[in-house]
Amino acid sequence: MTLLDVQNLRVTFDTETGPVQAVRGVSFSLGRERLGIVGESGSGKTMTGRAVLRLIRPPGRIEADRMVFDGQDLMKASDREMRALRGQRIGMVMQDPKYSLNPVMSVGQQLTEGLRLRDRIGRAAAHAKAVAALEAVQIRDPERVMAAYPHELSGGMGQRVMIAMMLIPEPDLLIADEPTSALDVTVQAEVLSILDGLVRDRGMGLIFISHDLRLVSRFCDRVLVMYKGRIVEEVQAGNLLAARHPYTQGLLNCLPRIGGPRAPLPGLDRSGAWAQDNGGTR
Amino acid sequence: MSLIEIDNLSVTFRAKGREVQAVQGVSLTVGEKESFGLVGESGSGKSTILRAICGLAPVSGGTIRIGGKVIPSPRGRDFSRRVQMVFQDPYASLHPRHTIDRTLSEPLAIHGIGNSDARVMQVLEDVGLPTSFRFRYPHQLSGGQRQRVAIARALMLNPQILLLDEPTSALDASVQAEVLNLLNRLRAEHGLTFLMVSHDLAVIDHMCDRVLVMQHGRAVEELSREALAAAQMKTAYARSLFDASADRLLGPTPEPVK
Repeated sequence: MTLLDVQNLRVTFDTETGPVQAVRGVSFSLGRERLGIVGESGSGKTMTGRAVLRLIRPPGRIEADRMVFDGQDLMKASDREMRALRGQRIGMVMQDPKYSLNPVMSVGQQLTEGLRLRDRIGRAAAHAKAVAALEAVQIRDPERVMAAYPHELSGGMGQRVMIAMMLIPEPDLLIADEPTSALDVTVQAEVLSILDGLVRDRGMGLIFISHDLRLVSRFCDRVLVMYKGRIVEEVQAGNLLAARHPYTQGLLNCLPRIGGPRAPLPGLDRSGAWAQDNGGTR
Repeated sequence: MSLIEIDNLSVTFRAKGREVQAVQGVSLTVGEKESFGLVGESGSGKSTILRAICGLAPVSGGTIRIGGKVIPSPRGRDFSRRVQMVFQDPYASLHPRHTIDRTLSEPLAIHGIGNSDARVMQVLEDVGLPTSFRFRYPHQLSGGQRQRVAIARALMLNPQILLLDEPTSALDASVQAEVLNLLNRLRAEHGLTFLMVSHDLAVIDHMCDRVLVMQHGRAVEELSREALAAAQMKTAYARSLFDASADRLLGPTPEPVK
């Protein structure tokens, strides 16, 4: 079943020097699976994720031929309808816990705020639900974390708090924007297995946005590779090494390998015709 | 003889009346023109060792010797001529309201070295930046270009030792490759000694001859490059770090391309 269907999505920013297209005609559809979106900074991967939730403010513009989530047209939805979707049906984990958590609210307050205001749940019940969510993301001492402020948590803990927060309303689709880039490899593996378990147990759809091709290939079913606002290649994650596109191959080859040769790492060759097309912007 | 000798180093921070031992009894030696790596998860004390060498962290025990001599405290000018550091985040480590020219010529002014025009042009060329960037501000540069400026600043005084604190962790994969290549080239050209911190074993393996694995402020295991490639680690922690490395997922290492 298709959960999300996006056809020809475009995100445009009007600047003093004319319109700049951050996303230029992206199409994909997603079932209850794990879809990876990979690209360098500026490739439009984050903008694609935000556009699905219509989280781009003017002067940015979102246009699409079709953007349908579970039968509901996201392009025609009113602001009120969008608010009902955000969080409840589609969750989003932002990149950096340092900037995305409220620094002057305790973790407990932040986790229960939505439950108390939106779902009108009592204080004790909301507290119990938040503790359960923290336990689901493998936080060992949830009561201590509930009372803590964001600056008292490590990056890994903060990231897990954000994931817990997004999972409380049990969304059908989770958009995770570089959820592990601030984390160590060992913690990274833990957070990924938490997300993996949630996708499997709850039948959630997941869009996993990352710049790390290796990580995405381990974790996702399909991978979209983006460059300059376009999808240049779609690969099955298991077949990443068979990727055809020179950009995907370049991204893979420029990573150092343990036990690999000491020769200079190959840079990304952007001289191919695929890199020249500017789509009439700028 | 070893250029850097760290013997039983301890660093203790005091916060809210509580003592935090960030580094506990770590010893290591780095030979001249060697490249040595420190690897571990965040909070393992790897960056703190670099900061302790520069005098930016409170040393509570042990000694740090460079070229056989215990380094003075405060560090002084001779130290900065010899040892320079490149920080992790190129967005935070350059003065936002100083032009590249001013950032680069400041060390020369402090040390009373003339001829700064020619030196700035030379070092920009060394790190592969066009000389037209000289009068730009940091916000006009990309992350990779900024890190090149930070490396250029570290090279201004012709140091012998570079301390590299996660120099590429804030960069894209393709830009990381360029910066790593640049660092390797500079090491060969200038005969530099590297002490490099990273959480990415593949990066450390590419750059360093020996690596020290750290956890909770203690040294866990020292590995040569060969031992790392052959997965001959003895401790469980070093192995778990190796297994978690994303590099392991791509299957066998390809043969070197001739």
